Amino acid sequence: MLKRKLLAATIAASLCGVSHAAVEINGFASIKGGIALSEDDSLYGYDNDVNFKNESLAALQLKSDLGDKLSVTAQLLGRGADDWDVGFEWAFLSYDLTDSLRVNAGRLRTPFYKYSDFRDVGYAYDWSRVPQSVYGLGFDTIEGASLYHTTTLGNFDSTLQLIVGSIDGDEQIGGATAEAQIDNITGVTWELGQDGYSFRMAYLIGKSTFYIDRLDAPTTGLYAQLTAFGLGALAQNLDVVDESSSFAGVGFNIDKNDWILVSEITKATVDNSFITDQESYYISVGHRFDNITPYVSFEKEDNTAKTELYAAIPTTSPIFAPVSTVVNTQQLDRNTMNLGVRYDFHPSAALKVQYTNADNKTTDKKDSVLVVGVDLVF
Amino acid sequence: MLKKLLVVPALALSFMAVANVAVIVHPSNAAALSQDDINKIFTGRAKTFADGKAAEPVNLAESVAVRADFDQKALGRTSTQMKAYWSKLVFTGKGTPPKELASEQEVVAEVAKNPAAIGYVSAGAATGNVKVALTLN
Repeated sequence: MLKRKLLAATIAASLCGVSHAAVEINGFASIKGGIALSEDDSLYGYDNDVNFKNESLAALQLKSDLGDKLSVTAQLLGRGADDWDVGFEWAFLSYDLTDSLRVNAGRLRTPFYKYSDFRDVGYAYDWSRVPQSVYGLGFDTIEGASLYHTTTLGNFDSTLQLIVGSIDGDEQIGGATAEAQIDNITGVTWELGQDGYSFRMAYLIGKSTFYIDRLDAPTTGLYAQLTAFGLGALAQNLDVVDESSSFAGVGFNIDKNDWILVSEITKATVDNSFITDQESYYISVGHRFDNITPYVSFEKEDNTAKTELYAAIPTTSPIFAPVSTVVNTQQLDRNTMNLGVRYDFHPSAALKVQYTNADNKTTDKKDSVLVVGVDLVF
Repeated sequence: MLKKLLVVPALALSFMAVANVAVIVHPSNAAALSQDDINKIFTGRAKTFADGKAAEPVNLAESVAVRADFDQKALGRTSTQMKAYWSKLVFTGKGTPPKELASEQEVVAEVAKNPAAIGYVSAGAATGNVKVALTLN
């Protein structure tokens, strides 16, 4: 089905009696075109001109079974948004300790959400994109090791995952690019499923350090200047240096009698910093009519800036404006509605159309976007 | 003339009637198999038969009509849903779908020679070289 097998055994290998290493090649791709529906609208990178690059992607996965329960997998993915530069989205080795215990080590997907692992594989779900209010946090790839335990508990299939690792990369924080690092990550996820019902929870903790040039630069950065003014304590309350951080998520999925109901609620925190608690959820309902699945979903982000951080600063003070601006970048109250349809027009491809309207109450701005695309697997 | 007219719809009906699906195993395989066991083996959630011996599921290509019947009857999903299900596992390193063979004859031949194999064919296609473990109506 998804599979094309290449026998990558060399003559030399077979002469030496080494077992043939079969390399499986699979791939997926999404080609999407979208446009913001009014002149001033902008959402998910779309503006008022039709754009086919923004959310299009293509990936090739190579998996080689090395025998004796060891395999290695690499996924090369190029995104239109990155000018199709190809990078390793995943690269890990897998070892089956027993039939129910597997270790994956290498570059993995951070297991925040229900769809984290396959968020780029559009074919695997009905939406045009995973709900950005919840999935837009960033920090999606982790370097580390993960232990999966699968078993049955009564009538339920249980998958328990333990993960350790670290994250290192550029992330968008409060409208600025941050060199972000999260160390000593440990986490657990647990998914229970039975006959069309599934329930999932995730909890991860780590130590975050975000370096944003205009805040953290020595001498010229805001924190250095605050410290020079004798406000080192305030600088330390704002900055993100080795701060305890957590992520908690709960989700469920019901797929019964052709009705599909999915919801997730998440909360992310970074202590002792200007980063506020980020609370989000979405709920989506769809119905399968043979090969056509219309759906509607609602997403909510509700983040309250930590205004108490600057409450003691007089508004006349020269530092009031720069400090309050940084803190207030964290304020966000946004409702997003999606209306869309998936049409399975081909055994390996699905056509999707999705309309999204995001109502940002913090900035009092509404943006809408329409995206049409094809998701395929091969 | 009249006879001919009657025969045509009768033939059409017999082709349209959904065939029973025979789940087949190697004759030496004595393990009891329920529909739930078959579901678990073909979705990668169980890797062994009830007696603890390794199970190697063999699928049919989507071009063979009985594949859609099997997906619906044994797994309760359409072939498209099964493909979406396997994409989740394949692209996250969590599983590999059963190997696919191009014809029912190939499935019978594979199951006849591999004691660990489990496959399915339309009820009439099973031969004496394999054991019908369960028939799905």
